[in-house]
Amino acid sequence: MQASFQRVSWIARVTFLEAVRQRFFAFLLILGAAMALSSVSFRVLDFGHGELKFIADFGFGGMFLFGSVLAVVMTAQLFFSEMDNKTALTLLAKPLGRGEFLLGKFAGAWSVLGVFVAVLSGLLGIVLWAREQELLLLAEQAGKVPPTFSASGLAQFALLQWLRLGVVASIVLAISAVARTFLYAVVVGALAVVAGQLQWIAQDAILKPSESPAYEAVLWCTSRLLPNLQQFNIGDALVLGAPGVPADAVGAVALAGAAYMAAYVFLGALLFKRREI
Amino acid sequence: MSSAISVRHLTKDFRVGLRGLKLRAVDDVSLEIPRGEVYGLLGPNGCGKSTTLKIVLGLVSATAGEVSILGCPSATPEARRRTGFLPEAPYFHKFLTGRELVRYCARLSGVPSADVAAAVEDALGLAAMTEAADRPIGTYSKGMLQRIGFAQAVVHDPELVILDEPTAGVDPVGSAAIGRMIHAMRAKGKTIVLCSHLLGQVEQVCDRVAIMDRGKLVLEGRVDDVLSRRDRHVLTVESMSPAAREAAEAALVAHGAVVTSVTHPRRSLEDLFRELVTGSRDA
Repeated sequence: MQASFQRVSWIARVTFLEAVRQRFFAFLLILGAAMALSSVSFRVLDFGHGELKFIADFGFGGMFLFGSVLAVVMTAQLFFSEMDNKTALTLLAKPLGRGEFLLGKFAGAWSVLGVFVAVLSGLLGIVLWAREQELLLLAEQAGKVPPTFSASGLAQFALLQWLRLGVVASIVLAISAVARTFLYAVVVGALAVVAGQLQWIAQDAILKPSESPAYEAVLWCTSRLLPNLQQFNIGDALVLGAPGVPADAVGAVALAGAAYMAAYVFLGALLFKRREI
Repeated sequence: MSSAISVRHLTKDFRVGLRGLKLRAVDDVSLEIPRGEVYGLLGPNGCGKSTTLKIVLGLVSATAGEVSILGCPSATPEARRRTGFLPEAPYFHKFLTGRELVRYCARLSGVPSADVAAAVEDALGLAAMTEAADRPIGTYSKGMLQRIGFAQAVVHDPELVILDEPTAGVDPVGSAAIGRMIHAMRAKGKTIVLCSHLLGQVEQVCDRVAIMDRGKLVLEGRVDDVLSRRDRHVLTVESMSPAAREAAEAALVAHGAVVTSVTHPRRSLEDLFRELVTGSRDA
């Protein structure tokens, strides 16, 4: 068990090193960081909402958009670089299980996504804190209640985003395990993200009575097999205070994310076992 | 004692195209590779030798037949723990240094933490890569890539080493260096399976050979047995005058022999090249 853990951690370590050296990662990190930092400049376009909410939404949007692109493209690329360059031949000829290999690739990719989320969340936190301080002074002078944000809420949101990106990466890895080409894995992975974002429609529909058992079966499968990626988007409630989110609700979302990640990595390992290298 | 590799009635079919047409890459091949020998697996491109090796290593599943390594079913991690593999045209992560790569492979191969440093140095020394070990792999020449590939294959001191085209694209000096590594492994009692197009090198280093063609095994045996022609003889004589040569020929004819040719022996171009560029390590 310990030896297996060590092999997985070595695969993860090299995967992480490979990923952080990619220009693609740096490019998306810079774009996301620029979006979080520039949100202050665009706050005049807050459409009547609070300034902090606008800044936070801008940052959340960058994290969601660029994080999703990174999770889909980078995960598929990290897998297919091993296949196409034949480095997998060298590694899998060693006493390394296919499941260990896939788990190591996932852990490496997820670690990179963790760095991405941590950097963007940190920058967003700094921007929110700086503007909050300015608004505090203005509110004091005007005798109004100052707007605030929750740093611990931002940390919880960052954790949920990391889990969401982990779920996306695990889905892409499971697809990659059977895909013949990088492009196929990216396209199907991107479609899975869109489907995950819309999964709540299936959840809503299943609550309504239907006369078609086939339709109900499809809805049931969709709502169970696909994760509801929208459930991770509770940034407003977590970061901007009211109305707040109960801790057990955050825990349930995190648990669901972890369960989906484990299930998709396991599925990927099963599919990868049958793949001919 | 079990063979190093035992292949029994191995068959592999690939499905190709949209209609799933069956392509037979390996056709009922049976092999027994004894321990402690250098075994050459020869054949033209597409003859099924690389597929056979991949099945042996558990990288590809067999359609039919059985394969075992050192008595263990070939697809098990235990079999691979005792096996080292250098793939054809190896590619490694360019950002790692040679030493990092070999250490990485040592850890994946189950070398205990306390022994990793010594095992890495031994493997680098055997592959003559100690001096270049701290350079990124991206800066290596083709020959150095093959040598670092050899080092990662032997870092865990395997009983069986499988080398797929180890000298492909390597100049004669580098090729000779790999030949020396093979000899060094054999001297340690290891079994080496060598898959190569370079027939001259195979002839020099291998104890036994098997030749495959179109997925089938067409010849197998000891190199001396399969190459020697028992009905013919070669005499190599120094300082022979024309008169002595005529007398020798006449004597042979008098004893019923048929002299088919009398020529001067030639050295191979590879031998001449190696002799002239001795000292240079690698391009």
